[in-house]
Amino acid sequence: MTRSSASDIDADAARYVARMDRDDWSDAQERDLQDWLARDPRHPGALLRAQAAWMTLDLPRPAEAVPQDGLARFGWLSRRNLLAGGGAAIAASVAGALMLGGGTSYATSVGEIRRVPLADGSIAAINTASTIEVKLDDAVRHVRVEQGEAWFQVAKDRQRPFVVAAGRARVRAVGTAFSVRRRAGGADILVTEGEVEVWADGAEGHRVRLGAGSRGFVADDAAIEQASAAPSAIDRALAWRSGKVDLAGDRLDSAVAEFNRYNRRRLVVADPAIAGERLDGLFRTDDPEGFAQAVHITLGVPVDPSDPAQIRIGNPAR
Amino acid sequence: MQGEGEVTTKGVNVERRRRMAAWVTQHVIPHERAVRAWLARHASQEDVDDVIQESYSRCAALDSVDHIHRPDAYFFSIARNLLVQRLRRARIVPIEAFAEIDAYQDDLRPSPEREAGGRIDYNRLLALIDSLPERRRRIVRMRKIEGLSQREIAERLGVSESIVENEVFRGVQAVQRAWRDGEAEAEARMAGEREQRP
Repeated sequence: MTRSSASDIDADAARYVARMDRDDWSDAQERDLQDWLARDPRHPGALLRAQAAWMTLDLPRPAEAVPQDGLARFGWLSRRNLLAGGGAAIAASVAGALMLGGGTSYATSVGEIRRVPLADGSIAAINTASTIEVKLDDAVRHVRVEQGEAWFQVAKDRQRPFVVAAGRARVRAVGTAFSVRRRAGGADILVTEGEVEVWADGAEGHRVRLGAGSRGFVADDAAIEQASAAPSAIDRALAWRSGKVDLAGDRLDSAVAEFNRYNRRRLVVADPAIAGERLDGLFRTDDPEGFAQAVHITLGVPVDPSDPAQIRIGNPAR
Repeated sequence: MQGEGEVTTKGVNVERRRRMAAWVTQHVIPHERAVRAWLARHASQEDVDDVIQESYSRCAALDSVDHIHRPDAYFFSIARNLLVQRLRRARIVPIEAFAEIDAYQDDLRPSPEREAGGRIDYNRLLALIDSLPERRRRIVRMRKIEGLSQREIAERLGVSESIVENEVFRGVQAVQRAWRDGEAEAEARMAGEREQRP
């Protein structure tokens, strides 16, 4: 038997990848592939490389340089066309982008922040533990914030409005930049550039325009609140896009809640008496230890880092 | 759970391969050319190709990548060890050569250049797609950028699914080559220069 050349093996691997790229990969084909993989020690590598090479065409730019935890490192944008039933639970734990109902869904895990260029030239920055689904069709660019928060820099296209849905909240833009965050009871909208139109699904008659520097909240009962905010406040609220938490006189308890969005290691305020203390400073989202240390120094309260699962701030209440 | 054994195994295999490929896409492929260039200083083209495929096979056998903090260095050291084994088996290399190969490990340390070189440039990949022949380019764009399935593409273009699959196969080959030879960068640089001209 002659030893096959690396390029023949590459061609075979490419054929398998092209076949797997269809959505009807069968058990028989899987068995055939397993046979092929076992036939030569170079085959599994050639298949992995071919599959990875093909996946490079799915890639958005890498996420901003935010250190990621072990789970997030595994995750990346990729598509899941072939999976049925049993694999779904595994897939759900993997951060990535999935194709669902013609749209593409992007998910980040805890601590991960990702920038994704969309096919229309818009950019989505997706915050920690969030899921968004994007569907660009000829008439409308649809985005759904299923969970968490995302900021959008929308490419101008007068023919195709960019509509973000988050719960009942709807935000429509043509070419502008804004963020949407799902919260209990509604969705928060922050406008950084241009203007957006906001309404609640089922209450289309009441629409509110929000300009740059405004903040809106669309409640699940369709009530819309709006307020203007200082540009610096908007910038601070969106500091996560560069992996930062920016505090300017924020309460300790809300700062702690913010850090807990990004980290598996929880911060706990053990003493309710200090929960309302105000704090300032710029911190990395993935550095709760550094933040706790700063609290220890600023407020002169004890910090207990002995538990790997959490950091306790302040003496426990008796 | 009865009757689902086969499906589940297939699903798990498929998902496992996909996850590993996603990791390789992000962390290994962008460094492959540097590893090849280094291997080529010590071995024939044929050996380089074999070592690279075997190195990827080692990656394919990993159960988890959580413990790998510098994938490029990891991949480098796998390739280096496979090369050393090969050279020892062939008994053609004087002892100093091993010393040189060992010393090369110093180059595995992260450097700003290495970081920059290992990054995937999306625009360059788009340019690579644009350099494909017409039908292939359309199909790859529909598949990868618009996110249509092969079946949907076949319907939309009024061609058979096997034609679409064959164009995807050629597309996969183009990307395979691009990452081996650095065409992804070369093609795109040319495309970029064309665009910049008035």
